[in-house]
Amino acid sequence: MWAFVLFESVVFAGYFTVYVVRRTHSPEIFLRSQAKLSLAVGVFNTLVLLASSWSAARCVQAARERSYSPALTHAFLTLFFGSVFLVSKVLEWSAEIHQGLGFTTNEFFSFYYFLTGIHFLHLLIGFVALGVVVHQLWSPGRRSQVLIETGATYWHTIDYLWVMIFALLYVMR
Amino acid sequence: MSSGSTKRLTLAWLALSAITIAQLGVRSLDGRREFAPDVGIASLAIAIALVKVRIIFREFMEVRRSPRLLRRLTDLWLVLTGAMLLGSYFVGLAFSTG
Repeated sequence: MWAFVLFESVVFAGYFTVYVVRRTHSPEIFLRSQAKLSLAVGVFNTLVLLASSWSAARCVQAARERSYSPALTHAFLTLFFGSVFLVSKVLEWSAEIHQGLGFTTNEFFSFYYFLTGIHFLHLLIGFVALGVVVHQLWSPGRRSQVLIETGATYWHTIDYLWVMIFALLYVMR
Repeated sequence: MSSGSTKRLTLAWLALSAITIAQLGVRSLDGRREFAPDVGIASLAIAIALVKVRIIFREFMEVRRSPRLLRRLTDLWLVLTGAMLLGSYFVGLAFSTG
């Protein structure tokens, strides 16, 4: 799983660098477009994903100590926070599209939809990983700690990639 | 569940959340230069993001208790990413204004 984390980190670092270079070429367009994003929604989404990562880490800790019932509760809590992020992101996109801010509006919004879209795709795959974790915890016959930790590591990867995306799209000036 | 490690995890989560909420204050730093690049805010945003990622690596992903090689590799990735992003930003600004 760490090889995958490294691969994802390198790929996303490439996207981030191209984004930073492009925004220095047209700073006014990027800053005016960025001002149309809701920083409060960005903060809310970040807080929700951080909470999901915390519960995923608690799930791993509990499973390691063979406390499978609390581990399952934390796995479901992670799914819940992940779902809140998913719904919030879709609502945010809808509001932006209703304001006429689409993928082709300008270069900033092309990057915005590309980066958040590819992250969203990773989130959907994360739900599958969490499904595997729940499946492992559900039955006493399975409960592979390796699979549980692999699923959690994938979920944390989604979290830290979002932390970078949030900084670059919502906060950076 | 070990109460010490649970407490540490929760403290890490609270610290990450507090830093994130503090980032709401960035708008108040904009002042009249809202639509001009701000080197200070840009550098701070990248630095804070990398600190948050390091906390996620070390506490949530348990790199703190991992073999030394993984600890060094994750720190190296953070340094390289920071250098690449800040370097691109400053070089890009120099070319666009100069």
